[in-house]
Amino acid sequence: MRRARPLLGTYVEIEAAGLAAPALERAVDAAFGAIARVHRLMSFHDGDSDVSRLNRYAASAPVTIDGWTAKVLKKARMLFDATDGLFDCAVGHELMRSGRLPSQGLSHVESGRFSAVELLSDNRVRFSAPIAIDLGGIAKGFAVDRAIAMLRAHGVREAVVNAGGDMRVIGNKARTIHIRCQGREGRVVQAGLLRNAAIATSDAAATVIKQGGRLASPSSHHAYSVVAPTCLLADALTKVLVQTQDAHAGYFARFGAIAFVTSADIAEDRVA
Amino acid sequence: MRASQWIWLPAVVISASAHATTYFTVEQAQRAIFPGATLTATAQPNAWRTSNGGYFIVTRVIGKHEYITLAVGINPNGTVKQIEIMQYIESYGYEVREAQWRAQFVGKSASSPLELNNDITNISGATLSSRHVTEGVKRVLQQVASLKGKQ
Repeated sequence: MRRARPLLGTYVEIEAAGLAAPALERAVDAAFGAIARVHRLMSFHDGDSDVSRLNRYAASAPVTIDGWTAKVLKKARMLFDATDGLFDCAVGHELMRSGRLPSQGLSHVESGRFSAVELLSDNRVRFSAPIAIDLGGIAKGFAVDRAIAMLRAHGVREAVVNAGGDMRVIGNKARTIHIRCQGREGRVVQAGLLRNAAIATSDAAATVIKQGGRLASPSSHHAYSVVAPTCLLADALTKVLVQTQDAHAGYFARFGAIAFVTSADIAEDRVA
Repeated sequence: MRASQWIWLPAVVISASAHATTYFTVEQAQRAIFPGATLTATAQPNAWRTSNGGYFIVTRVIGKHEYITLAVGINPNGTVKQIEIMQYIESYGYEVREAQWRAQFVGKSASSPLELNNDITNISGATLSSRHVTEGVKRVLQQVASLKGKQ
């Protein structure tokens, strides 16, 4: 069974097998429900989301958030520390300034680092500086992981969840993965087979460079991919790979991940 | 993670022009969004009404490179109940201009439509925006408001 819904600002596809149709339908429905919940909690655009409430109020007083949002913030902090600050969700200021995110009600926000996020007890969070966070670099991966957990809870053992290119595969079947290279529209490169793991791919245009990072030439059309045990890790680590272009950095192995860069120019050569 | 979980293949460029997936027929989407309900056709060809005042609308959304058929279920109070993608087609025009690629379709005419390659799934890449879908749903809500006005 394959289903697709527009969620998280992109298209989310869920493929599941191994159960009778009514049971699969319930499982897939519940998995989409988990993704919709992540969308509601972590959207920058939705004024009632945890992220919006944090950005408006957490610099003044502690804000109570959902356990799922707290979990993502904990992971984001762990990745911020492990990558010397290259993975940094405090990019709200930069994204608003460049017009990629709405700035309504956030005129107090300044540029800052994710280290200003203080996780208190009982899912309360305070910002020690007037920053704005955007979880666009990690929430999609988390949503895919929650969907997989929901499918498993419903007894599904064979499934693929693909949220606009961030995907996770469970089951014994190895899946062929294609990588899309930006700037060579329509070019997809067959990169490998994936089994019981997650992959995410990013490009230079989708990443905000923070202190210590640099950007490949926008004309290089490279796709930066990370294979990892969870989609949260894969999603977040692509943002680091884009900034360093160093697929051999120690943190990839530490998280059980493999990083690689696909060059659209190579793809072009093969075609000719 | 075990190394066997990720198996390298030589980089192969897929030469197909498009990938297309059909998730639902109209009847399947109706059953999925309004299980057990009776739907009645309206004067508009893409709109059905449920016995309790909800609506089922099929709409087409055309993005830069994607063609999407959506089913939108509307609750009796006018809010969106559920959105399902019925068909997703992604295509790129410029490859059609490449002679080598076009040669595959020599002899095909309008009566023998191009077969889209359905084998390309599991694409990992920079996120595609679903902004056009959001705009399509807004149009559906306007259409439902006008259908309700005609009752």
